[in-house]
Amino acid sequence: MKFSLPEKKLPSKNTQRPAKRQHLAGGLNAANNDASSDSDKEQSLTAYYSSAISIANTPEEKKRRESRSKRFEKGQGHRAEINYLKQKNAGAGNLYSRRASALMISKSFDDSGSKAVEDIDWDALTVKGTCQEIEKRYLRLTSAPDPSSVRPEEVLEKALLMVQNSQKNYLYKCDQLKSIRQDLTVQRIQNQLTVKVYETHARLSLEAGDLPEYNQCQSQLKTLYAEGIEGCDMEFAAYNLLCVILHSNNNRDLVSSMSRLTEGSKKDKAVKHALAVRAAVTSGNYVMFFRLYEDAPNLNSCLMDLYVEKMRYRAVSCMSRSYRPTIPVSYIARVLGFCRTSDANDEDSDGSGLVECLEWMKAHGACLASDDGGEIQLDTKASSSSLYMPEPEDAVAHGDANLAVNDFLTRTSL
Amino acid sequence: MLTTPSKKQPMLFFPEFRNWESAWALEALYVVAYEIRILAERADRELAFNGKSPEKLKGAGSFLMKVFGVLAGKGPKRVGALYVTCQLFKIYFKLGTVNLCRSVIRSIETARIFDFEEFPKRDKVTYMYYTGRLEVFNENFPAADHKLSYALMHCHPHNEANIRMILKYLIPVKLSIGVLPKDWLLEKYGLVEYNNVIQALKRGDLRLLREALEEHEDRFLRSGVFLVLEKLELQVYQRLLKKIYIIQKQRDPSKAHQMKLEVIVKALKWLEIDMDLDEVECIVAILIYKNLVKGYFAHKSKVVVLSKQDPFPKLNSKPVNS
Repeated sequence: MKFSLPEKKLPSKNTQRPAKRQHLAGGLNAANNDASSDSDKEQSLTAYYSSAISIANTPEEKKRRESRSKRFEKGQGHRAEINYLKQKNAGAGNLYSRRASALMISKSFDDSGSKAVEDIDWDALTVKGTCQEIEKRYLRLTSAPDPSSVRPEEVLEKALLMVQNSQKNYLYKCDQLKSIRQDLTVQRIQNQLTVKVYETHARLSLEAGDLPEYNQCQSQLKTLYAEGIEGCDMEFAAYNLLCVILHSNNNRDLVSSMSRLTEGSKKDKAVKHALAVRAAVTSGNYVMFFRLYEDAPNLNSCLMDLYVEKMRYRAVSCMSRSYRPTIPVSYIARVLGFCRTSDANDEDSDGSGLVECLEWMKAHGACLASDDGGEIQLDTKASSSSLYMPEPEDAVAHGDANLAVNDFLTRTSL
Repeated sequence: MLTTPSKKQPMLFFPEFRNWESAWALEALYVVAYEIRILAERADRELAFNGKSPEKLKGAGSFLMKVFGVLAGKGPKRVGALYVTCQLFKIYFKLGTVNLCRSVIRSIETARIFDFEEFPKRDKVTYMYYTGRLEVFNENFPAADHKLSYALMHCHPHNEANIRMILKYLIPVKLSIGVLPKDWLLEKYGLVEYNNVIQALKRGDLRLLREALEEHEDRFLRSGVFLVLEKLELQVYQRLLKKIYIIQKQRDPSKAHQMKLEVIVKALKWLEIDMDLDEVECIVAILIYKNLVKGYFAHKSKVVVLSKQDPFPKLNSKPVNS
């Protein structure tokens, strides 16, 4: 089954607008509350926009805008792909909260008429920073920054440490890390600190399900590792493999990625796991896939999350055609990762996995029946023609905490 | 500067060529197009060696696209378009930007001015070889079989290097649709890396398949057929189950069509492959789902109940259901 939903028909897009409007209103309120610096702020804004307009008209800027829009096309592809996989599932709240965050970040990407920090030609604008602030909001630049607003390397190290120890949510951390990245870029700093910053941001974006941001970090890391700067390159080789396997679905890219692995990297635990995931996906081996999911190193399971829904559907479709007359739902729950097994207790102790599995089955049109002993079974013959992949639901309606309005209000006062 | 002469010379040649109505200059065009690609490849090697970004081959691709445009019109010159197309294929395959082949292929195969049979035979063979390789990437095995078989049949019998190149892709494609090549064919064209893959398929020996893939992994990955060969695993499993079935039938014909899961587990263990019941059950379910095994699995009794009619159907030149 393959979806081809037009971009405009995605309901979540419309729902995002009120939230965005609120965000802008919050910004204005913050400005109004600070009466003493009102005139200064207005002047600096004027300078900002006038310089932005002048740069926007240069042919060099047009070229950069083109390359930028091409990257957006790629990013939107990822976002659309993410949307297809969404569906209501009480037990996967974490997954949907990450999706919602990704939607927010992706949308802010689309709305900007400007370019990512990595797209700007910073060679011509290299500065030496003097700012001593550890916490600093990300503000997109379109011209050379004032050195007093750029933080030098030793301050950036403290800023990274602050972000890593912070208890605030992904949106806040993303904002701070983009600011750190920008300060590194305008100063042309490329060293182990740079690698750490991108690795940290990549990991956070994986946990949040923010694939566009992850791809941006991964792209930079590839360059940095290639220049010989030390980092966790094996960990990220595994993530890169999983991205190609699970999301781009492109055989040529997959073969290229596999060809580039060195003998050493193939022995790495995380890379070995990623290769095993690939083999399981290729053959449709759902038992192996969910075992690997259970036993994933680092953040490999975050990338696998986005394939869980599809693999479960493939598995139940397969079972519906292969088993007769029935198969216990408890067995399905166990092999398809609905039950979290632990060392102490092999069984699903509170039965929540079984309940989740039943909900999933009903949502996908499976036919269920009770056997003589009262155990719920999948009626395979009937299910083989009734199964379907449901339409993805709107994440905001799901009541995701990450989209709480308060976050937008507090964000403006950082 | 290595590239200066080549950069200037075609610029003088092609504006004039555009105005010629006859095709007498095609041979000269062929030489120029070929030399542009070869020189660009050398230039890129030298640029890379000197730590600069190699961009000449990409430029050659852009230039030859314009040349293709000149040829793609009414008139006798159009028979040269396929040669230029093949040079573009070589460039795109080398650069790894094979998606760019799509627009050229669309022109060749849909534009009314082109009749495939009008093109020179040599160019048709090359074209079918490269488009066949693209179909392998897309796992469109029937189309790949058609194109690569065409290339093989029309390839000059004495050009063994080219035949070998074609077979390198045609053999995995044939294996995917259930056709095994003769041993002498592998031996004659030095395709020894496929020997153990084929033995594994004949014997149902999963361990041998894995060993063969591991031994030649770099080669298979580089040529792009690794994923195709890996998918043969299901056929190897089918063969293994069929052997178990044959043995059971010899012992007790009345019970042959019921195969216990634990028997399969033991057979795999004998091949030094450790799998538990859940995993083997999954494999069996997949085999039934993809119609490599006809029957059903009874979960409660852990038994594969095989159809009494042809429980292990042949592929008959069709790919496994995906």
